[in-house]
Amino acid sequence: MQIQTTTDDHRIAKLAAFAIALHMVEAVIPSPLPGVKPGIANIVTLYVLLRYDFATAAWVSILRVFASSLLLGQFLSPTFALSLSGALLSLGVLWLTMRLPRRYFGAVTLSILAAFAHIAGQLMVVRLWLIPHASVSYLIPIFAVAALFFGLINGLITAKLLYNKESNIVLNKSGMPPL
Amino acid sequence: MLKSLRSARSIFRYLLPGDLLTVILSMVAITYLFQTLWSHQHASKVQIRLGDKIHATYDLNLQRDVHVHGPLGDAVIHISQGKVRFAKSPCHNQYCVHQGWLTHAGQVAICLPNQISLELIGEQKPYDSLNY
Amino acid sequence: MRKGFAGLLLIAIIASVLFSLRAYNKEPLYHSQSYVFGTLVDISIYGESEQRAKSLSNQVLQDFQRLNNQLHAWKPVNNNQPSELGALNAAFAAGKQPIAISPQLADMLVNTTALSVKSHGMFNPAIGHLIGTWGFQRDEFSAVVINDEKIKALVKSKPRMTDIVITNNTVYSNNPNVKLDLGGYAKGYALDMAAHYLRQQKVKNALINIGGNIIAIGQHGNKPWRVGIQHPRKPAAIATLDLADGWAIGTSGDYQRYFILNGKRYCHIIDPRNGYPVQHTQAVTVLIPPQPGAGVLSDVASKPIFIAPAADKAKAAANIGIQYFMVIAQQPISQRSNGQQPNAEQSNILVSPALAKKLDWLDSDVKNNSHVKVLTLR
Repeated sequence: MQIQTTTDDHRIAKLAAFAIALHMVEAVIPSPLPGVKPGIANIVTLYVLLRYDFATAAWVSILRVFASSLLLGQFLSPTFALSLSGALLSLGVLWLTMRLPRRYFGAVTLSILAAFAHIAGQLMVVRLWLIPHASVSYLIPIFAVAALFFGLINGLITAKLLYNKESNIVLNKSGMPPL
Repeated sequence: MLKSLRSARSIFRYLLPGDLLTVILSMVAITYLFQTLWSHQHASKVQIRLGDKIHATYDLNLQRDVHVHGPLGDAVIHISQGKVRFAKSPCHNQYCVHQGWLTHAGQVAICLPNQISLELIGEQKPYDSLNY
Repeated sequence: MRKGFAGLLLIAIIASVLFSLRAYNKEPLYHSQSYVFGTLVDISIYGESEQRAKSLSNQVLQDFQRLNNQLHAWKPVNNNQPSELGALNAAFAAGKQPIAISPQLADMLVNTTALSVKSHGMFNPAIGHLIGTWGFQRDEFSAVVINDEKIKALVKSKPRMTDIVITNNTVYSNNPNVKLDLGGYAKGYALDMAAHYLRQQKVKNALINIGGNIIAIGQHGNKPWRVGIQHPRKPAAIATLDLADGWAIGTSGDYQRYFILNGKRYCHIIDPRNGYPVQHTQAVTVLIPPQPGAGVLSDVASKPIFIAPAADKAKAAANIGIQYFMVIAQQPISQRSNGQQPNAEQSNILVSPALAKKLDWLDSDVKNNSHVKVLTLR
C-alpha cells in the first residue's frame, strides 16, 4: 500500500528539511546567553507563510521542532518543551498578525511579533515548570530585547528573500511582491 | 566599508510603515518591562543580625538552613529560591515566623525576644528605616 | 594601528578613573541596630566619622537604657528595685500619701495629663491595671482568661490622669486604681531626647528609630530620609514617604503586641471606655511636622485615633491636633455624606488629604485597587 504524496507534501518536506538544517547549524554555534539565539530557522517559517499559506508554515514549523529534537537527542526533553511552546505560541500570533493589512505590515512585523510570542511561550514553561524562581522575571526584559533585535533582522532577511524570489514578478506600489 | 553601508541602507527599504510602528511600539514595551520588572529592588543577599552585631550575610541563591543561637535559644532560618524566612524560633509569640517569606530588598523580619533580625539586601533600599 | 592603540589607552584611563571614583563614593553613613529593654533601636548618622558616630550612638542608647530603668511599668531594675514609676504606682495604690519624684518625671506627668485631656481621655496612661489584666505587662503574651467582672470593675473605677495631684515635685493620687503605664509615651519621649542630644552635639543628619517610631534630623546626604510604613499583615512596607528635618512618624498597630484567642485577635491597645482591646482597626499612622515634642506626639497621637470608631476618627485626629494621619481598618469604611446612603466607594484605608499627597504606595494590592482603595476625607 503506497501513500499518495502531493506536490504540496513535497514542498513542505523540502522546506522543513531546510528549516531543520538551519536549526542544526544554529545548535552548533554557541550563544552568549542561554536561551538567546538568532532563530534563523524561523526565516523559513516566515518565508513559507508569506509565500504560500499558514497551513504550510505550521507544518514546516512543527516538523522542524520534532525532527530537530529527535536528531539532537532532545526529544521530550525540557529543551523540546521550550521549543514546542515557543513554536506553538508564535504560530498562534502569526495566524492573528497575518490579518493585518499587507500594505503596511510586512515580514518585519510578523517576525518581531512572532519572536515576542516565542520567548513568551518559552518563559512560561521556564517559570511554571523548569525554574520556579522569583528572579526569572529579571530575564524577561533581556529576552525581549533579543526578540526585537533578531526579529527585526530575520524579518528583513525574509523580506529581501521574498523580493529576490519574485524579482521577475511585477511588484506592487510598496515594493513588495503581490500576494 | 561604504559598500556594506549602502547594502545596509538598501535592506531597510523592506521596512514598511507598519513595520516601523511595530519596532517603535516594541521599544516602548521593552522600556516598560525594564521599568516594572527591574525596579522591584532585586535582593541578592540576606543580612542576619544577632543583638547589635551583624551575624552573617548569605547569598539568597544557595538553598540552606541557617541556625542562629540567640539569648532565648536556637532559631532556624530557611533560605530558598531567592527568599528567606524564620522557620523555627524559640520565642513565645512566634511573630517572626508568622511574617512569612521575605522576597524583596528592604524587607525585614525581626524576632525581638531572641534579638535576631533578617534583612534582604539589594542594590538600592526603597527606604532608610521602617516605621511600625 | 597607532590610532587604535591611543584609543584603547584612553578608554583604559577613563575606566580606571571611574573605578577609583567608585571607591571614594562610599557614603559616610553609620548605622547601628541594638536591642534595649525589648525594643529595637536603629540609629543612622550621616556625615560623621565612624568613630564619632559610634560614640554618639552609644550615648543615645545609654540614655534610652536609663529612661527605661526610670519608667518601666512592670520590670524591677537594679537589684530587684522597682523603677521610679513602679515605686510611684505602689504609692498611688497605698493611699494619698504624697511621694517625691524627679522633676523629669513630674514634667512627664504634666505633659501626659494635658495630652490625655486633649484626647478626651482616649489616651489614658492611668489604666495600667487594665493593661496588666489583659496580660500585656509581660515580655511574652499569651491568651488570658478574660475576666469580664474584673474588667468592668476596673473600668468603673475610672482611673484618670486628672486624679493625680502634683505640687512641687511631690505627687499623690486621689484614686488608688490609677496605675501608670507610659508604654504609649516613653518611646516618643526617648525620640525627642535623642534628637535633642544629637542636635546639641552638632549632628547635622541623623535618623532615629526607636521601636518603630522615627524622627529625622537633616537629610540622607543630598536627598531626604525615606521611611517605609509597615503593612499590618505582610512583612513589607505598604507605602514610603520622605521624612524631612524635624518631622516624626509613629504607628500603632494590632500586629505589634497581641494574642489570638478562639480565632479572635486581642491587641495591646485598650479602649479605656469599655476596657477591651480595640478590634476594628489594624493600624494608625501619624506624621508630625517639626515642633517641640514631635517625638512624643508621634507616639501618643496614634492611640486616640486608633481607639475611636470609624465615624469619629477624623474628629479624634482634630482634637489632638493631627493633620497627617492614615487609618487601616479591619473592615471597609463606608463614606457617609450627611448620614445618608453610604456611597459605593469602600476601602480599608483612610488617609487625610495632607498625608495622601506625601505617600508613595508600594503595595501592589493598593496600587492596583484590587480590594483596597484610598479614601480621602472632605
